[in-house]
Amino acid sequence: MNEHDTRSIDRRSVIKAAASAGLVGLAGCSGGAPDEGDGGDGGDGESTDSSTDSGSETYTIGMVDSLSGSLSAFGQRNQRGKEIALDDINSVGVSGGELAISQQDDQSTSQGGVSAAQTLVNQEEVPLLIGTVGSGVSTAIHESVVQNTDVVQISQNSTSPNLTNFPDLLRMPPAGKAQAEAISSLLNEDGNESAALAWINNDYGQSVGEAFIEAYDGEIVYNEPHDQGQSSYSSTISSMSDTDADAWVFITYQPEFATMSQEAFDLGVTDQAAWYGGDSVKGPKVLESAPEGSLDGMKAVVPSVPQDAENYQAFVSEFQERFGEEPTSWSAYAYDAVVVSALAIEAADEFTGSALMEVVRDVTRPEGEEATSYEDAHEILANGGSPSDVDYTGVSGPIDLDENGDPVGLLQVFEVVDHAYESSGFIEG
Amino acid sequence: MAQILQYLANGLVFSSIIILGSIGLSLVYSIADFANFAHGDTMTLGAYGAFVAFGVFGGLGGTVLGLPIGFFLSLAVGMALAAVVAVLTHILVYKPLDTDSIGLLITSIGVAFVYRAVLQATFGTDFLQYDISRSGPIPVLLDTLDVAVTQRDVAIIVSAAVLVAGLHLLLQRTTLGRKMRATADNPDLARVSGIRTDRVILVMWVVGSALAAAGGVFLALYSQLDPRIGFNILLVVFAAVILGGIGSVYGAMLGGLLIGMLHELTPLLSDVGLPVSNAYAPAVAFVIMVAVLLVRPRGIAGDMT
Repeated sequence: MNEHDTRSIDRRSVIKAAASAGLVGLAGCSGGAPDEGDGGDGGDGESTDSSTDSGSETYTIGMVDSLSGSLSAFGQRNQRGKEIALDDINSVGVSGGELAISQQDDQSTSQGGVSAAQTLVNQEEVPLLIGTVGSGVSTAIHESVVQNTDVVQISQNSTSPNLTNFPDLLRMPPAGKAQAEAISSLLNEDGNESAALAWINNDYGQSVGEAFIEAYDGEIVYNEPHDQGQSSYSSTISSMSDTDADAWVFITYQPEFATMSQEAFDLGVTDQAAWYGGDSVKGPKVLESAPEGSLDGMKAVVPSVPQDAENYQAFVSEFQERFGEEPTSWSAYAYDAVVVSALAIEAADEFTGSALMEVVRDVTRPEGEEATSYEDAHEILANGGSPSDVDYTGVSGPIDLDENGDPVGLLQVFEVVDHAYESSGFIEG
Repeated sequence: MAQILQYLANGLVFSSIIILGSIGLSLVYSIADFANFAHGDTMTLGAYGAFVAFGVFGGLGGTVLGLPIGFFLSLAVGMALAAVVAVLTHILVYKPLDTDSIGLLITSIGVAFVYRAVLQATFGTDFLQYDISRSGPIPVLLDTLDVAVTQRDVAIIVSAAVLVAGLHLLLQRTTLGRKMRATADNPDLARVSGIRTDRVILVMWVVGSALAAAGGVFLALYSQLDPRIGFNILLVVFAAVILGGIGSVYGAMLGGLLIGMLHELTPLLSDVGLPVSNAYAPAVAFVIMVAVLLVRPRGIAGDMT
């Protein structure tokens, strides 16, 4: 076989391999490209793994984030937290190598999330997946992609109580049950004897709504779901104003709540009841879109970060320097999701899902020496410390992942005063 | 009673937006002969066009119907932008494609993704607002009828009515309108009668997308602007078009009115004891659409053009 022949066959097999890889990619299943066992097996079309032969190893983990759709405001905050975390981690190193994140958008939908996770888990074969924002989306990913594999999933932002039922689905923010209980105790404290509850028709809305109803002493006079992404919620608002509830409780997302608050203003019913909300109705965009003063007096319970902690302060100043604004809790959770992943890689014996799962909780648990930054925690591990010798306390709080994969968290109450959010205290999660 | 009036008022505003969207969709179907899935994103495109223009013209003094003059200028810019983009898409994509209506349908889904991607890449995915302050309900109506309607609602309804009336005059009273109706009825016959159907199709794209853009602008004015608003409302618009009789402009108007009303009147069901939550308003609208189609398979106005 002469030079010339080999080369022409090679080119053909390269094209074949590329085409079949493309087909496999489209079908979204794992399985390698079928072997085209023809003549040119000298230096043929198989691409070599570029990362393995270079001096330091690159550990690639996956991340599913809501870059578009109803939850994009959260997704974008996550991106900033992730960026800072990656820089902090890679300036120190992970197991003698570097951390890289392969990312996919879930479009804030379960379907988008599942196909994003499939790409990462089945095709790119990441052993650890950070994902995602929406609680329903996170559980959909867990149930249809992650369960029954040894991949570790850490949700950066999901707060639904439902996630507690999946012990292997870890998360950074405190569970929504605590939030729902906090809202109901606020209602009781403020002397509201009846409440109208509007919840978004998905996992998050339903489970937080149910937890609220369970915890609330007063009468629930309206209890209705609404769909995500509708152009109008005036029927919901009209129905709520048709009741004589003392308090209106909104368990929904920012764009939906923005529309509702505008419609309530248009209907002239903003002062009819006291307004309360969960974590995902609070945001600068909501205030921006609401008519001046229309939200005054509204209270929202939001998973919080330890404002006074030194490592959080450092995170804030780094964040402000880069992006020119204060971070939200959500950026802090995303930051910690990435750092915890990196610590698990550092602590694990090998870069596989099962090895990571063994250690990922331990590096956050209170047993062991407290470390408030990646650098400190990394040092303990690099000096021969075992996973349980480290207690990573993140910028978002103590973390301390329990057997259900839930962290210990803080909740903060915000009240709208003069069209701005003002903190009015903390509640233990 | 006041509650029913309130639902009807809400429905009228929502219907106005749906009607503007459904006319264009129906026009494209009747003349270009395919279901244009990029129509929703054309609405979004117009809304963003107006958003950018409003940054320039927003300061212009004077108000009409409680909205600044600059807003109506921006509306025109948004409509023009959507028309230009739709015509370019037609010339560059749909026209050269030698495929059937299913092929065009799938292509239009791709076009929709491209429009949305461009908007997302340019403006981000956060929601935005036209910088026009809200005024709250009109006191007179609130006092006399106990119905809350804002000036903005009135502006949306009136503007939609003006645009629809304009289209009606165009179709019925002008030569161009007669050519459009002829082309929609039977393109081959229209062509042998000496009508330059290519031009008529271009005009149809201009009219349809401009109206869609107006719908998008009002939708964004009514709630807020994000890259998915048009796509999120597209199925409802389709329902309106099919209910009215696909391909019929007047049917689309009627269908839009009905679907919009049904959507907003859903809470009445629970008032009369049927436990149907507002979250299922679109489902209710679709059930009624199917019921109507069982009786009139070609839609309410399926025989008119």
